[in-house]
Amino acid sequence: MTTSLEQGINTLKAAIDAPTASYFSSCVHCGICAYACIFYTETGEAKYTPMNRLEPMKRLWEQEYTVLGRLKKLIGLSKAITQADMEAAVELNFESCTTCGRCSMICPVGNDIVYMIKKMRGALTAAGLAPPELKGAAVRAIEKGSVMGFPMETLAAQVRAAEKETGIKINIDEPNVDYMLLLSSAEVVQFDEIIGSLAKIFKQAGVTWTFSSKAHEAANPGMHMGAKDIEAQQIEQMVAAAEELKVKNVISPECGHAYMAIRWDGPNVIGRPYPFKVFHIIEVLDQLREQGKLKTNACCTEEPITFHDPCQAARRGGVNQPQRNLLNMMSSNFVEMKQHSACNWCCGGGGGVGSLEKTEELRKRIFHRKKRQIDELGVNTVVTMCATCRNTLEEGLENNSMDVNVIGLTEAVANHLLKENES
Amino acid sequence: MTKKTHRLSDELQKHGISRRSFLKFCTAMASAMALPPMAANVMAETLEKVQRQSVIWLSFQECTGCTESLTRSHKPSIESLIFDFISLDYHHTLQAASGDAAELAREQAMHAHKGKYILIVDGSIPTKDDGVYSTIAGMTNLDMLKEVAKDAAAIVSIGTCAAYGGLPKAAPNPTGAQSVSEIIKDKPIINIPGCPPIPVVMTGVLAHVLTLGIPELDSHGRPVAFYGDSIHDRCYRRPFYDQGLFAKSFDDDGARKGWCLYEVGCKGPVTHNACATLKWNNGTSFPIQSGHGCIGCSEPDFWDAGGFYKALSTSNAEPGHWAGVALGAGAVVGAAAALANRHSHKQAESDKTEITLDDMKESDA
Repeated sequence: MTTSLEQGINTLKAAIDAPTASYFSSCVHCGICAYACIFYTETGEAKYTPMNRLEPMKRLWEQEYTVLGRLKKLIGLSKAITQADMEAAVELNFESCTTCGRCSMICPVGNDIVYMIKKMRGALTAAGLAPPELKGAAVRAIEKGSVMGFPMETLAAQVRAAEKETGIKINIDEPNVDYMLLLSSAEVVQFDEIIGSLAKIFKQAGVTWTFSSKAHEAANPGMHMGAKDIEAQQIEQMVAAAEELKVKNVISPECGHAYMAIRWDGPNVIGRPYPFKVFHIIEVLDQLREQGKLKTNACCTEEPITFHDPCQAARRGGVNQPQRNLLNMMSSNFVEMKQHSACNWCCGGGGGVGSLEKTEELRKRIFHRKKRQIDELGVNTVVTMCATCRNTLEEGLENNSMDVNVIGLTEAVANHLLKENES
Repeated sequence: MTKKTHRLSDELQKHGISRRSFLKFCTAMASAMALPPMAANVMAETLEKVQRQSVIWLSFQECTGCTESLTRSHKPSIESLIFDFISLDYHHTLQAASGDAAELAREQAMHAHKGKYILIVDGSIPTKDDGVYSTIAGMTNLDMLKEVAKDAAAIVSIGTCAAYGGLPKAAPNPTGAQSVSEIIKDKPIINIPGCPPIPVVMTGVLAHVLTLGIPELDSHGRPVAFYGDSIHDRCYRRPFYDQGLFAKSFDDDGARKGWCLYEVGCKGPVTHNACATLKWNNGTSFPIQSGHGCIGCSEPDFWDAGGFYKALSTSNAEPGHWAGVALGAGAVVGAAAALANRHSHKQAESDKTEITLDDMKESDA
């Protein structure tokens, strides 16, 4: 297919389903979604009202699927969607929405606004308007298996380094093990200590695991673009790898949207159930803790720490308790931000926004919400469980000259266990 | 009846009414209208001094129930005596004169007390076909009302028919019945609605008009002193309502226990009158006390406000024929729209094509 305005409109028209129609007809224009949206609260600009982002889609729904709208269209009272409309929608749907889902959760009539934002993104992608950064990431993800373009060879090198450092053998393509581990790009090169950390934790817990050379990353730019075809293609690669190795479980890495894609979206976009289960790495660690397999004999630290919930894993994905169990195990002074878990505020980097060059200034502005939340608590350590959140937090803290450390929860658990073993 | 200018106090003595019982009357009137205690004295002093007030009573489309209520009270009471303090110069039912002599009395009174007499009206006024549906001495009610109202000091509309149109105005209103206030716009009008009104309310308001002028009125032109509270707010069965204890029919256990009649159609919550406090037949009882819900007779258009036995919370609307047609038409339009939508959705599905990796590379090329 060649992308075009016509294709975009066709895609949008096909994307308007029964839920979408009911959402548009039940919106009471109360504007509460605006106050749920970090882009509105931090800028005060009305255009960022979540429902407003869907204006072209709403107009198309009226014109194509309502009796009055059809009449209006017939007598020329409503305008057709133009290229300019679609281009304007790119800013509102790709550049200033992290698909954090706070609006969907807060809407008093139960409209799933993010559900529609994703459809809107799909139409913009079909119109050839998806941001080039995301397009490039999608190409790399499918051709090289890595959104940042780190091939399997890079991971293999990191694995060898980790084996050397820890003295533990790390499997690649080992069939019939308990877990197949997927990583995020950032974990392959930037936060690579996670590989050694997990090797130690899993060895101590006595579980078997492996990487697959056919699929080593879980990030899914296709989902960000609302391009189900691309999203499915990537999910198929991961499913094929897991099926070939006959693993019982697949671990989604410390990444919010990867979890959303492989755990929740996956079976729907490929149209069949998985023969394995999918867990977020933090869910797996908490299960091991519960089974008493995370052995520790020293007391927890008293340094105050807080936790930043990644929207896709916590609010959207439902992983809210495991991270808190682990943090309470490690620290006697774990404090919550005023709004957390399902109600957390986004860091501002999710949904692909963090990877877009254009959004840098806007990201700085909206980070103020997170800054205030962290300032209120006066902590020096923020733990999270998403590489994108981690990058965004580090960037934001740096911009605001805040002396706060950000670490991944898996790494924090590993450090904690390691400390015990040394003492 | 001829014109008299005697002072009330003289009349009282002539009728053998002691000053003590007169003061009791004034006190009762004052307290019934929730006037300050001193008002009873003011009322008594004024009543003693005033000359007999000329009153012309016009009866139009009515049943004489209001007059009955006023005059046939349980026993001859002080209320009935008030009529000895006024000069009732014209009243169909009560006057001895008939024919031309009766009409002459009305004209004489109008002439002698021009601008000072009080006009009391009971019954509604037919206005359709120039008001031919009710005439007195060859004159339509409409013309007579206009003629007499012209030089009246004030008008008192007694009963729901005069005040709001009442039963004659009930749908389909064949005579085009209207209330006094719908026809006369330039005179002070006091409405004393009820079907019939409570006797003491009529005498009390008349006493007030005679001594202290026109009382404070609500938005429906009713004296606040008697019509300020709803029946419901002053009902002795109110505690049952508050506890959610309702009679479900007129012969069930709840009805025997005297529970609230809301669910069998009592209109007490929306009816403003003094029945629950002053009661009827010299304070003996009132409808709710005798086991029947209030029918709301002192409210405008009470006859058309739904069934007397339908609870207030139920709808009075009857969907009828056109609702069925509209429902059918709506279903057809809806089904057609759904079919059309399904078609265009399918069309869109087949028009759109898969997004491929090549599309992702377009911009790079």
